Amino acid sequence: MATYDNFFDTIGLRDWCGDDEGGGLSSMADLMGQAGGNTDTTLWDMPFPSLDALHDSCDAIPQSRDLTQGLEQGFLAIKDSLKVVVDPLTQPLSWALENALWLMQAVPWFIMIPLLMVITYAVGRSLKLVGLVALVFGFLAFIDFYEHTMQTLAIIFVCAFICVLLGVPIGIAMSRSDRVQRTMIPVLDMLQTLPPFVYLIPLIFLFSVTEPKLYGIAIILYAIVPVVRLTDLGIRLVDQDVIEAADAFGMTNRQKLYKVQIPLALPNIMAGVNQTIMMSLAMVVIASLVSAPGLGVLVLRGIRSLELGVGLLSGLGIVLLAIILDRVTKAALARINASQK
Amino acid sequence: MTDDIRISVRNLYKIFGDDPQGALEKVRGGMSKTELQAETGHVLGLNNINVDMPAGKTTVIMGLSGSGKSTLIRHLNRLIDPTAGEVIVNGENILDYNERRLRDLRKHDMSMVFQKFALLPHRTVLENTGLSWEIEGKSRKKYAAEATKWLNRVGLEGQGEQFPAQLSGGMQQRVGIARALTSNSDVMLMDEAFSALDPLIRTDMQDLLIELQAELHKTVIFITHDLDEALKLADHLVILKDGFIVQQGEPQDILLNPNDPYIEAFVSDINRARVLRVRSVMEVTDVPPTDVAGEVDYDDTLESIIAVSEGDTTNNYRVMREGKQVGVLHMRDLVRALVPRHPGEAA
Repeated sequence: MATYDNFFDTIGLRDWCGDDEGGGLSSMADLMGQAGGNTDTTLWDMPFPSLDALHDSCDAIPQSRDLTQGLEQGFLAIKDSLKVVVDPLTQPLSWALENALWLMQAVPWFIMIPLLMVITYAVGRSLKLVGLVALVFGFLAFIDFYEHTMQTLAIIFVCAFICVLLGVPIGIAMSRSDRVQRTMIPVLDMLQTLPPFVYLIPLIFLFSVTEPKLYGIAIILYAIVPVVRLTDLGIRLVDQDVIEAADAFGMTNRQKLYKVQIPLALPNIMAGVNQTIMMSLAMVVIASLVSAPGLGVLVLRGIRSLELGVGLLSGLGIVLLAIILDRVTKAALARINASQK
Repeated sequence: MTDDIRISVRNLYKIFGDDPQGALEKVRGGMSKTELQAETGHVLGLNNINVDMPAGKTTVIMGLSGSGKSTLIRHLNRLIDPTAGEVIVNGENILDYNERRLRDLRKHDMSMVFQKFALLPHRTVLENTGLSWEIEGKSRKKYAAEATKWLNRVGLEGQGEQFPAQLSGGMQQRVGIARALTSNSDVMLMDEAFSALDPLIRTDMQDLLIELQAELHKTVIFITHDLDEALKLADHLVILKDGFIVQQGEPQDILLNPNDPYIEAFVSDINRARVLRVRSVMEVTDVPPTDVAGEVDYDDTLESIIAVSEGDTTNNYRVMREGKQVGVLHMRDLVRALVPRHPGEAA
């Protein structure tokens, strides 16, 4: 006899529940109850009227495991049609990741490392930074992590680029319409707080684990948030007096956007890009669970087979990579700030 | 000079709030600003404004903060849309304009100078100055000569490659004025353009504006909260209070015949000798006076006459305009005019 039997009897729903009393045991609690033989529950022990507790008294009410199973069934049911839409849309991502991975590994180290140094100088105009880049890549190559480092870098470049490509226009749309902002903010909050492992589960159902876009999508979803938020914020923070002047001299909305708002929001947008790159680096490690290559694979190996040395060294490699990515983007940001005062 | 009207504002109302049209009925029914705010939460920005702004002259709109002067000037190029009324420019009501025609108006007919300068911080002074040309899609090469000409005219020779942040406030506002002049529009809206500047620099800028005006004859609409500045610059003075016009007219006339205690209180602190001119206090006659102490010009300030007369109040002067006598100035009248009329005294 379960706790809520009386409740269903009194409100007259017994027939609806189905007369199944004394039927098959369905939960551990029932078994325990049978074993103990004590069916009298005191007020103190009264369980919360949860799905399981109500199911004990009334079979028409589903158990909580039916709920999770229902979700799964539902997802599986729409999976195929979802795939028809999402698959071709995301195919370029797979293609870009594959090619970037191939390119970064195909170029020999004695071209790649100087090339990265040149890019660093072009972006940051600082010889100190170039030295740091040479040192870090030299060290990582010296300990035979070169291949993994290049893979990680390739994934970050592609994902961060796509984040900016999608994130900046979304941010602009948010800054122009309060309604878009109101609807986007909860979505961004959710993307930022949902544990990253949770994205992976439905993605695994949707795509095969051999496809690079699986981890590409996971990284982009996780890392796109800061660039969207800071683009929106940056444009909204542009001095209203300057906007008014632009209006008073007859600028069109498009001219205002390209000649005033985006240039003045650029420091904030660049801060967002910096954050986006940092977050994609964080996610690249988790994404190695779903076959993303790179330093994350080594971290995973360290955990799986308890190879302490490998785990620590690859962890250090990621930290070094994070430091140079951060310094280089910050140097670019500082140059923009200096030109704007 | 002919007094052509360049911009004409007719029965303009602006009410801020959720239901401006509903509130408008109440205001037309005679409700005051305070009553409206207490009863409906709406703010009465402008209340039945009628102003004619003469072409080629300086119209100064003066009022304290909250009087609606900045709101009024933003109606002239529709940065703010009114609740009711008309703004007539070139014989057309600009409230009927669509977005494209409105942009054309702002590009070709009106330019604006702002209190906080509102220059683009990421562009050089030259690029800021050529803004209106750039909006038209013209390249830097095309506008460089014109922009440099106006930068030189406002006293910024050789500063074209600086960024605005490298200039002082006064210089930044010179860029603001050069930007407005480079657009070659003949209406210049100046929203408290000199209020953010130091007193000495402000005087310089006022002199610069008067100089430019003497040369270019733009239609200037100038907003200020400073009566000295208003009297110095104005050909036509409009005094606003709580969103309605208390008095408008020739500044000398307002000073001598204030029609409202509010304005009397306002003008009582003014150095009248410096503002009032001979033409406002002279006796109009072409009969030569008998005992002349000398000749003075029609447009001289009373201050300069006091200096000439060395304080002798019994003197009479012939008032000359372009070589002809237009009146006689009695020092006694002059001294009397220096004392403001007191509230309650018969006009």
